[in-house]
Amino acid sequence: MIKESYREKSENELVVASLDGDKQAFGEIVTRYQNMVARTVKSMLGDSVFSEDIGQDVFIKLFHSLSDFRGEAKLSTYIQKIAVNLTLNEIKRRKRFFSTFSQKGNNEMYEFEVADYETEEKKEASELISKALGSLDPKFRIIVAMRMLQGYSTKETAEILDLPLGTVLSRLSRGQEQMKNVLRKL
Amino acid sequence: MKSQDFKELIIRSLDSESDPEMASGKLEEAGVTYRFREGFTERVIDKIFTAGDSVVREIEFVRSLNSVFYRIALTGVAAIVLLMISIFIVQGSLSMDSFLGIGNTNDESILYLLTGN
Repeated sequence: MIKESYREKSENELVVASLDGDKQAFGEIVTRYQNMVARTVKSMLGDSVFSEDIGQDVFIKLFHSLSDFRGEAKLSTYIQKIAVNLTLNEIKRRKRFFSTFSQKGNNEMYEFEVADYETEEKKEASELISKALGSLDPKFRIIVAMRMLQGYSTKETAEILDLPLGTVLSRLSRGQEQMKNVLRKL
Repeated sequence: MKSQDFKELIIRSLDSESDPEMASGKLEEAGVTYRFREGFTERVIDKIFTAGDSVVREIEFVRSLNSVFYRIALTGVAAIVLLMISIFIVQGSLSMDSFLGIGNTNDESILYLLTGN
């Protein structure tokens, strides 16, 4: 359990304490940003236990690269960049694996497990959005998910993905169009 | 919220004019939530701090492998340079024939070497 006193600490204080090996401080960082990472990873890879492994890797990588964090950008942006990179790497790995060992299509890359939802409606909502997102090409999916599920502006999305603003805008527009078409058919 | 209403909500949130923050908030209210299982923080902390030693060992191994690679590569480059200098001294040029060791031979001598006549 993380002590209450850590909840009031600023990002920089937590980073400095984590660099000194303070487990509680790093635990607070994980607690603060785990939902943001979950949204990125699960919206890209599907809602399965394998996505949690990637989520854990995000924070392990963050811990080992904390000394490189200079505080110029927000910590959330830094974490989001790690999450996006690891997720895209996982998609590439799955693509290679399935193209080598399976004849099935891309749908297999997007896993969806029925988790414990509070109500039947919430389960249906999650299933619907997962199906629609899963049908998109990953390069469109990441942009649509970041805007639609995380509320990032196109400028923030471009910064996190290291892409020109024009590219983000065009991919967003194509992705949104594709997703609308998929949803109308579902 | 019915499935059809929810579909409409997603489609509306996909409009380029919609405010992304508001749209994501509405979707969350409707039940689109992505969370890791309970105890996620503890699992991450355990992985980092119990696997600490093996990570350090792994980093050390990669570091020493890198230094070994550079040493071997430098020795190889030095050997190639020495070889080129010696070829240049013996053959007088750095042409392909010199590299193959046939720079100063002629057809007759090769024929003689092959047939003995």
